[in-house]
Amino acid sequence: MPTARQLEFESLIAPHLSSLYSTALRMTHNQNDAEDLVQDTLYKAFRAFDQYQKNTNFRAWAFRILVNTYITAYRKAIRQPQKVSYDDLEEFYLYKKLDESISLQETAKEDFLENFFEDDVKDALENLPYQFRLVVLLCDVEGFSYNEIANIIDAPLGTVMSRLYRGRKLLQRYLWSYAKKRGYVLNEKD
Amino acid sequence: MKKTKPKKYDCAEVEKRVQAYLDNYLSDEEILKIEDHLSYCLPCDKKVEFEIKLKELIRHKANEKDYPKTLEEELKKIIEDRHST
Repeated sequence: MPTARQLEFESLIAPHLSSLYSTALRMTHNQNDAEDLVQDTLYKAFRAFDQYQKNTNFRAWAFRILVNTYITAYRKAIRQPQKVSYDDLEEFYLYKKLDESISLQETAKEDFLENFFEDDVKDALENLPYQFRLVVLLCDVEGFSYNEIANIIDAPLGTVMSRLYRGRKLLQRYLWSYAKKRGYVLNEKD
Repeated sequence: MKKTKPKKYDCAEVEKRVQAYLDNYLSDEEILKIEDHLSYCLPCDKKVEFEIKLKELIRHKANEKDYPKTLEEELKKIIEDRHST
């Protein structure tokens, strides 16, 4: 018979298996590695469960362990310098590009979004440099607040915000290049 | 007492704050100024609408609904192994 403590751990973590796996998949790019990462996370979380303070944010606590486990396991792979230029990243990139290339009606711009393949959105996310990808996933997919993310990735709030804003702008560029490649946008000038 | 009326935001100032605005991470005063701007500036309003739609799209499409059921078995194992030691 499992103890009350074990059952408590199970009941706290079970509702988050799908979001832990989803984030792991976007970070590792493949199902086997994602599964391994979540398994390691579950194991570490269970061993550290005594350190979890009751009635604090369990979900953020579990994600913090996922992120630490990811960084430890992928330390070598993610240490490569990221060659991205951020100088000319602007807000509303996708909207502005759509506006320039075709005189779409507003409804057509929204249709344009609807037409994105799920895989294109996933690919675009997975191509972001990992520091950016992580905060964009935590905020925009998992719905964590800036403060929760600062705690999860163990970074100052300012770092969270700058990575998040840059990551999203970069993501819009990637989406735009997918849109062109897939032929969603015709009459593009450049 | 001299009290200057709060300056209105122009498009650039809205653009600079749009992400924090959409994340609900601005002060009440900043929110008011942005919403005031959006109430009369159609181009900015359209852009903000588009950003909201885009955020929804990303959340919707990037979220895996399924996960391997082996994880549930693994969870049980982790808990039980611990129990037996």
